[in-house]
Amino acid sequence: MFDLEKSIRLWLRAFRKYRAFGHGSIREMELHVRDHIDDLMADGHSERSAFELAVAEFGEVPAMADEAFLNYRRKTTLRSIIFNTMVKNYSKTSLRGLMKNPLTSFINIFGLSVAIGFCLLVYVFIQYDYDIDQFHENKNEIYLTTFFVDRDGEERHYVSAPAPLALHLKDDFEQFRNVCRVEDRDVVMKFEDNVFHEQVRYVDPAFLDMFTFPLQWGASGSLNDINSIILSADMALKYFGTENPLGKDIQMIFREGDSKIFKVSGVAKPFPKARTIDFDFLINFKNLNASDLAFDANDWGTFLSGTFIQVDENAEVGKITDRMAAYRSFQNEGQSDWAITSFGLERLSNLHFATAKIRDDISFDYNAEARLGLPVVALIMLGLACFNYINIALVSATKRLKEIGVRKVIGANKRSVVVQFLTENLVITFFALLIGLFLALTLIIPWFRGLSGDPLKVDFLNLNLWIFMAATMLLTAVVSGVYPAFYISKFDAVKIFKGSIKFGKKSPLTKIFLGAQLVLTCAGIACAILFIQNNEYQNNQSWGYNQNGILYLNLPDSSSFDRLEAAMLDNKNILSISGAQDHLGITHRTSVLRRPDRNFEVDHLSVSPNYLKTMEIEVLVGRSFKDRSENDKRSIVVNELLLEKLKLSDPLGAEFEMDSIKYEVIGVVKDFHSYNFYHELRPTMFTVAEEKEYNYFIARAREGAHKEIYLELRRKWIDLFPEIPFQGGHQEDTWAGFYAQLDTAEHFYKVLSIMAIMLASLGLYGLVNLNVAGRTKEFSIRKVLGAGVSSLSKNVVKEYALLAIVSLSIGIPLSYYMGIATLDMLYAYRVPVTPLPLIMAVMILLIILLAVVSTQIGKVIKSNPVEGLRLEK
Amino acid sequence: MISKNLTAASTKPIILGILKQGTSYGYLIIKKIKELSGGKMKYSDGMLYPVLHRLEKDGLIESKWVMEDDSARPRKYYEITEAGKQELVQEQQQWSQVNAVLNTIWDVKPSTT
Repeated sequence: MFDLEKSIRLWLRAFRKYRAFGHGSIREMELHVRDHIDDLMADGHSERSAFELAVAEFGEVPAMADEAFLNYRRKTTLRSIIFNTMVKNYSKTSLRGLMKNPLTSFINIFGLSVAIGFCLLVYVFIQYDYDIDQFHENKNEIYLTTFFVDRDGEERHYVSAPAPLALHLKDDFEQFRNVCRVEDRDVVMKFEDNVFHEQVRYVDPAFLDMFTFPLQWGASGSLNDINSIILSADMALKYFGTENPLGKDIQMIFREGDSKIFKVSGVAKPFPKARTIDFDFLINFKNLNASDLAFDANDWGTFLSGTFIQVDENAEVGKITDRMAAYRSFQNEGQSDWAITSFGLERLSNLHFATAKIRDDISFDYNAEARLGLPVVALIMLGLACFNYINIALVSATKRLKEIGVRKVIGANKRSVVVQFLTENLVITFFALLIGLFLALTLIIPWFRGLSGDPLKVDFLNLNLWIFMAATMLLTAVVSGVYPAFYISKFDAVKIFKGSIKFGKKSPLTKIFLGAQLVLTCAGIACAILFIQNNEYQNNQSWGYNQNGILYLNLPDSSSFDRLEAAMLDNKNILSISGAQDHLGITHRTSVLRRPDRNFEVDHLSVSPNYLKTMEIEVLVGRSFKDRSENDKRSIVVNELLLEKLKLSDPLGAEFEMDSIKYEVIGVVKDFHSYNFYHELRPTMFTVAEEKEYNYFIARAREGAHKEIYLELRRKWIDLFPEIPFQGGHQEDTWAGFYAQLDTAEHFYKVLSIMAIMLASLGLYGLVNLNVAGRTKEFSIRKVLGAGVSSLSKNVVKEYALLAIVSLSIGIPLSYYMGIATLDMLYAYRVPVTPLPLIMAVMILLIILLAVVSTQIGKVIKSNPVEGLRLEK
Repeated sequence: MISKNLTAASTKPIILGILKQGTSYGYLIIKKIKELSGGKMKYSDGMLYPVLHRLEKDGLIESKWVMEDDSARPRKYYEITEAGKQELVQEQQQWSQVNAVLNTIWDVKPSTT
């Protein structure tokens, strides 16, 4: 029995063998045959004969396929090139090539792997940096209010908003969805035996509606209750362990004898890692009056940590700030020192990046240095690795000239040679990517995480990461491979077989690439040494006062200074005791000194009269404060820098106004550093503080006795203030973070320079090795003709000596300027530049060069010339 | 019977000519050619399709699949484009010229000398 459908199916199968027929055309032909069969059957043919006739008239399939293929073949797509030529064929030859030259393959792949691994680190870091504070759903609607103040012609940008601003904004701007004040204060927290110093964030209840900090327990609305407290996950763990603390009471001690019990009403889920704004404890803003009796929410002279507003996403910010300008008069009437020129708004999504330009910011930016430096470092490494690759590829081509010749003779055109070399390159970069990924995950990223403390994480679910990796691989493959591929593909097969191509040895481009590599390495090593030197310098730089033996304590309240002083006064090992409202290196106030014509913003420290003596700050002109002198309460002592800014020829007796009170300059002290050396000195002045205002207790211990005094202070503290945890330390510890940062940086630079040296050595080794190997015959002839060690060495060294001289003469000034520019950008006070780093860099490079070249010379000398001459090349 | 080469050479103007009269699909085009030539042009039906696809690729014709109400089968309809119409004019001129040359040659009486 004839089955028409089956016959048609079988017949169609013949078409599917040919790629020239797409699905569409096969369907079209099937319909054609069916139409034809229908017509024939209508004319009285049987199914079978209709089918046979229709198929016969349709014609031979192979002939049709040939015809159709004419259409098909003209479609050369990228895909067809990749699949027809590259993957099938060249990946196989590439792999064979890799196995055949294990040393060069290792140098190429390893160099590229390290560089790619570093690029991945940079990617992960930048990703982290750009994710900071981006998890807030309303990030584009929330703005931080800021203001600008004119300081002697210079406009400065501040965050700390005047306290009443939020109240006015709430009343005057109906379109604001939310307004939230934020103020941070230090308190002591107590739950059963757990007592710690903590920072509490006083906020308006809208805080949790505006920012995305979901709670794991409790309700965000509970902030409306002034007796409620919301904890971060970390703090809940610290005080209550893993149990649910809702409903538990926790005591907040504002100062001795003054505390309040709060009920835990919420615990936040752990915060995302990439953040700068968060909290430990949240309580209702109204509590501020309880903790700070002097706080007045309507006083324009009181400033808060920050005021946030939430608007509609498409609100016109410019119009809002224009309207806010009306508040200037409120502020400027009473606070002439803080006369605001204009208000500003900084969007939350942008706050992290804007933070460097704003003073007293509520968020922070520790990444500026790395954001700039890391990509540069990664690019230099990638550049080094690519130069390595280009050099080695060019030189190894001399060993493959015959292969290229043969390929060309049997019909390969230029394009297919290019494709072959690029494929090889892609295979190499692919391996490098795999190894680089492995290095990044197991070594580079964990190392950087440990170093910087940034919570970097590789997120494989992130599509951008894959795009970045693919892009890095392709870019590296193309950058490092295009030039060698095109260069090699240009060779003429006939010339190759005649042996008239002498390539690799004399190619000026190989030299240029090698030169560029030397320049980069020189710059890398010199900068690393310069930075290490600079770290040494920073470590030994004087702070302008004697830190050794200084101990400081935070005082819990106004009477505590007297009690501590009385307890410690008899101690023979204490040379001097001072009190202070602000303490050097820890806190200071910003005040404005006024003359009739000008005003100066200065760092202001209010201290006890003998503070300068205790801290051993040298008085250059005039005198320090006298003990119990009423007159000295209206006196100021300035630092050299302030004197310079004031431009006074005779500073003593000069009068200034501050907070509408007249002050007289009685002395000038030597400049000292209140900030670490990243920052410039600031004009600073001292005034005498009232004893009840002291926040710090400062003691200078006799040399060698400071540990003992420290323990004694702790003992006395426990006797005097059993309720309050001890908070204090050695003055040197103030800068522990800074010195740790210096150590981190030094470690980083050392690793980098070692990597740069390693990459360069590998590249040089590969290059010289290939170069010498390519000249085996030449050296053999020389040896047979009687060339000795020195003549042979001269011959090898000659090749590189000139190159080294030229590239170093470019590399040295380049490193010099690069190094200085970077240091100037980072440090306000940097090491004076000496030629030492440059000399060392040159020495290191020359040693590498010599070591590499001499191993090859050794090889030449030891080789048997007869073996060399037997070589076919 | 018209030779294979000549048939092949004339395929393009014939298809374009047929499509100029209106849209059509493969089977109908072949049927029309066979009718018009009275069976004198020997064609394998299947050879039509590569030609159609090439013309489409060159932008002389366009195609779209259509499901007609009265038929159970979809059809791929071809339509001539503006470029195709211009191409047809050129083809017509060329064929007329060939025709004219041939006529002239064949009209000349054989020389008696």
